[in-house]
Amino acid sequence: MTTLKRVQQWATFARIWHVFDASWQNPFDSAQLLKKYLLGLYKPIYHPMNDCGDHVIVINCSDVALPGEEWKKRVYFHHTGYPGGASWTLAHELHKKDPVLILKKAVYNSMDGNLQRRYTMERLHLFPDANVPAKLMGNVSNQIRQIRPIPKRLDHYTQKEIEEYPKLIDYPKDYILR
Amino acid sequence: MQSISKINLLNLPNIFLRTISFSSKLQLKEVFETREGNSLVIKGVHAESGREPFLLKNVSEACPVCSSGLDIKHTDVLILSQFVRSDGCMLPRRITGLCTKQQKRMSTLVTMAQKAGLMPNLNPPNSKNDPKKRGGWKKYHKYFDETTINVR
Repeated sequence: MTTLKRVQQWATFARIWHVFDASWQNPFDSAQLLKKYLLGLYKPIYHPMNDCGDHVIVINCSDVALPGEEWKKRVYFHHTGYPGGASWTLAHELHKKDPVLILKKAVYNSMDGNLQRRYTMERLHLFPDANVPAKLMGNVSNQIRQIRPIPKRLDHYTQKEIEEYPKLIDYPKDYILR
Repeated sequence: MQSISKINLLNLPNIFLRTISFSSKLQLKEVFETREGNSLVIKGVHAESGREPFLLKNVSEACPVCSSGLDIKHTDVLILSQFVRSDGCMLPRRITGLCTKQQKRMSTLVTMAQKAGLMPNLNPPNSKNDPKKRGGWKKYHKYFDETTINVR
């Protein structure tokens, strides 16, 4: 085995570490994206029996965005197993309890329920903010591109940018500005 | 009426006049008052809105938004803020000059941007400007799908 082949072999089977910024991202769309990396679906050597999944670090999990009114419409069901043990938790209640859980459940539910799922989930590292231990961050060699662009708030533009932006309408002559 | 009677008691006509004079910098018609001896002259002068140099030319007969051909999203706050008062109210159609369809569409987009907390500085004065200080589910990030706008 030549040196090149040896390094190629090592690079093929090494676990790569990816980082993903979840701020303003839909957790359910993100789950479909992260699943691809966690299972190693994008690799040419992929096979269900081949343990070739990567590690993914997700930062800013508390800043995920849900579409429309889903924060108060989406319900998470749990049953303790005892009679009357059913409980329904709204998405915003769950998010307040643990800002990581919505993304965690989204990724967990996006994958098939087999014996590998729990081990695959161990390769997903979720953080509510951008404070990641340096030990983990040192492994990262790839950043996963975000799905949705992060919108910019009006008060984060400078006054000059707002004034000099092309205007579609002007006020009538007799209009009193408020 | 109570405030007027108070002012009459104080016998200060200048204060009373100041309540009806508007001399904001942003005003399109600025009101000036000058006193020459016994006579008081109140003048309304047209002021510049500051938008003329940046105004897009509308050569067609269509409304400004239709003729621009833009696909405006609720995240385009620099466009949407042009149709909004400083307290976040939508300007009426006689002032914006849009067609009924675009007026309805723009007002829906403005509502979406406000719900998503993208225009927190255009709000009534008593509101908390930081979207993170809203209560319950409203404080979390949300986005909207423009295809759900139902304009006929």
